[in-house]
Amino acid sequence: MALLAVKGLTKYFGGLRAVHDLSFDVQTGEILGLIGPNGAGKTTAFNLIAGFIHPTRGEILLDGESIAGMKPYAVTRKGIARTFQIVKPFRKLSVLENVTLAAFLRFPSRGEAESQARQVLERMGLESKISALAVDLTLSEQKRLEIARALATQPKLLLLDEPMGGLNATEIEQASLLVRDICKGGVTIIWVEHVLKAIMNSSNRVVVINQGEKIADAPPEQIVENPDVIAAYLGTKKR
Amino acid sequence: METFVQSIVSGILTGSLYAMIGVGLTVIFGVMRIINMAHGDMVMFGMYGAFLSITFLKIDPFLSIILWIPIAFLIGVLIYRFLLKNIVPAGELNTLLYTAGLSLFIANLVLLIATGDYRTIKLKYAIMPLRPFGIAVPIPLAIAFGMAILITVALYWFLVRTDTGRAIRATSQEPEAAALMGVNVDRTAIITFALGTALACAAGVLLAPSLYLYPTVGEILVAKCFVIVVLGGLGSVPGAIAGGLLLGVVESLGAVYVSVPYKDAIGFVIFLLVLLFRPSGLFGVGKS
Amino acid sequence: MKKIVIALSLILLFTAPLIVSAPFFVHLMIMVLMWTVLGASWNILGGFTGQVSFGHATFLGAGAYTTMILYLKLGIAPWYGIPIGGLVAALIALPIGFICFRLRGPYFALSTLAVAEIIRLVALNWESLTNGPVGLLITTLPDVTFRGRSIDWENKIPFYYIIAIITLGSIVATYIMSRTRLGAYSLAIREDIDSAEAIGINTVQARVAALSLSAFFAGVAGGFYAMYLRYIDPDAVFSIALSIEMVFIAVVGGLTTVAGPLIGAIVLVAFGEIFREIFLVHFKLVGHLIFYGLMMMIVIRYLPEGIWGRLRLRFGSQH
Ligand SMILES: Nc1ncnc2c1ncn2[C@@H]1O[C@H](COP(=O)(O)OP(=O)(O)O)[C@@H](O)[C@H]1O
Ligand SMILES: [Mg+2]
Repeated sequence: MALLAVKGLTKYFGGLRAVHDLSFDVQTGEILGLIGPNGAGKTTAFNLIAGFIHPTRGEILLDGESIAGMKPYAVTRKGIARTFQIVKPFRKLSVLENVTLAAFLRFPSRGEAESQARQVLERMGLESKISALAVDLTLSEQKRLEIARALATQPKLLLLDEPMGGLNATEIEQASLLVRDICKGGVTIIWVEHVLKAIMNSSNRVVVINQGEKIADAPPEQIVENPDVIAAYLGTKKR
Repeated sequence: METFVQSIVSGILTGSLYAMIGVGLTVIFGVMRIINMAHGDMVMFGMYGAFLSITFLKIDPFLSIILWIPIAFLIGVLIYRFLLKNIVPAGELNTLLYTAGLSLFIANLVLLIATGDYRTIKLKYAIMPLRPFGIAVPIPLAIAFGMAILITVALYWFLVRTDTGRAIRATSQEPEAAALMGVNVDRTAIITFALGTALACAAGVLLAPSLYLYPTVGEILVAKCFVIVVLGGLGSVPGAIAGGLLLGVVESLGAVYVSVPYKDAIGFVIFLLVLLFRPSGLFGVGKS
Repeated sequence: MKKIVIALSLILLFTAPLIVSAPFFVHLMIMVLMWTVLGASWNILGGFTGQVSFGHATFLGAGAYTTMILYLKLGIAPWYGIPIGGLVAALIALPIGFICFRLRGPYFALSTLAVAEIIRLVALNWESLTNGPVGLLITTLPDVTFRGRSIDWENKIPFYYIIAIITLGSIVATYIMSRTRLGAYSLAIREDIDSAEAIGINTVQARVAALSLSAFFAGVAGGFYAMYLRYIDPDAVFSIALSIEMVFIAVVGGLTTVAGPLIGAIVLVAFGEIFREIFLVHFKLVGHLIFYGLMMMIVIRYLPEGIWGRLRLRFGSQH
């Protein structure tokens, strides 16, 4: 059984069709790339899966159990963690506190939560920043903090929304390694990214959406040759 | 049936003034994203303006509006320039708290000068109501209604036809885009705030002959004003007009068919329901 | 060092009326402490979770009316009535929270204002329970003997000790909150509510819990208010102005700090009373709220972290 199954997912904002009849599966242990032009509906799809907005129609199954319509915190408790495209750290709290708060979900005592948080921060290469305020970090560090916070909830499935947006070439390289490393650690990943090279190098499979609809679902090497995808990216109107 | 028509009519008359106050608050919110807790005090200011005019200057309150609108506009400019401008960047909630402080300050300053006495304005020509079709229409409200329509139409013309008006509407719809298109954000904000203040004050002048005036009247007016703009959708001018009329009618029907004491509560109950179930307003045009 | 400061403060708190026993000063100190509790109450919600309530008078009023009605109708003494008043306020907070916390930021603030107005109107019109606009009056408080002597309720000192204990309770509760998971969650909510949800915090539940705790102290202060002043009416205990004053105490003192409400109350109430006296003497008017408004504007503009919020770092204190 697929870890996550999305079936006929549809979301309208008033008259705007942000996501339309979107279906795809994610298998345990995969890195699934999710790409599409700006405004294609990728973030909306994440918001739907993570419970931040509720679908107009469609099903979302985690381990075969429906999670559509659940509140975000409940989805997180079920084992799906997310990051935000525009980072949302707890700005005036320390880096350690940011992650400890997330670790409370699985470790109710502060001591255990903190030591869990330290471990995760170390993996993210943020151990030297532990007592800095989140607001004082660089963008690249804030993006890693966001991932650390998500990981501290011990998810089965991690949704990464453009973790490389705004990063430079070296940082992108590091981030790619990090994503693969997280996956090796046993977390399944859906990854939205504009840096196509990174997606193509790291994903097992790529889903492409355009104007809310899925136009391709294949391994990366086939995606780059798919005429629909090329058309969508070159901006030719497909009808 | 007659009572029904009567309450609808008086509801619309009062509602037109509510609408003016609401439009003032909503344009300010639209452009600056601030909820101005001191808006009701601007209305209070207009009410006392009318009172001063008739008591000391012996000018008819309705005529005195020509004097008070520019004064209020200037006050708006000064408040924005010297007080709010530095606060707005500190965020919605800080601004909300700041304007709450401003409101308390203004209301109590007036309390100090004018004392807490309830005052009324008596107009010689307004003792008997008009009776078209057997419906009682108080003369001050009728005049106020007419002038409210004039002012609202003028405002509409301004928003639609002038460059500044277009800049205001553009900023309130797409702030970033407007800034990129070369709209002078600061100037737009200052004019909007002054305009909103002038509208509130004008409504106060018009309302004065029909209400009791006392320094803290702004407190209840600002609460009503929130009801109005939320009903219409925060940021929407037509929404605020509709919301104002609706609140006027609901209150006056409520006073007849529910109970006088609870008439104010009806507005708040509707307000909560709209906030909860239609956060973009009854007409779905505002920003949630 | 810290322990010494705390010990000295405690000694001062409990000996103050013995040092200066002039009725006006005792009254002033009682008002300062009562507003400390109200500020602390608002701080528990507004400071920690960042949710601005403009309707906290609801809880004060609920506590005041509960205490008063229990005493007048059922003969239950105020020392039971006051904590029961707190509990009633905490209970009322539950449905209010579940409704209003569906809204965010300024929308939440406006909804609390609306709820408070609705409740004020209900109190004004439900005459069989509240006696309507006429209000409720206690003429005598029940006889109590303490160490063999009957307490003299005409003297203010017994009231001072009651409110001192309540104040201590509210400060300790704030301190405890700042050290528990609820406190940590509240800060997360204040910083970013979406992120708080995303890491698995049930933000509605946490906010309702904070509101309920906050309401408890407002209710207790309300019960005390009723007993101390012996008279309440809906406009006195449910007014918007009262809600706003609570906000001011907490903000001026310093949000999220433990000692902030006390500092805010000292500055606003003590100076406010002095202003009130000056205005009364010179203008025959109650004018202290001008001072409140002005202080609020100055603090938001120049000291957004509040007076104690700024000072505490100098004193090397976290609280
Ligand atoms: N809360 C919302 N309300 C209205 N429209 C929205 C909302 N969120 C997203 N949209 C619209 O939905 C479409 C898809 O947006 P999004 O999912 O953010 O795209 P992507 O992440 O692929 O760039 C866009 O047209 C966007 O403007
Ligand atoms: Mg996106």
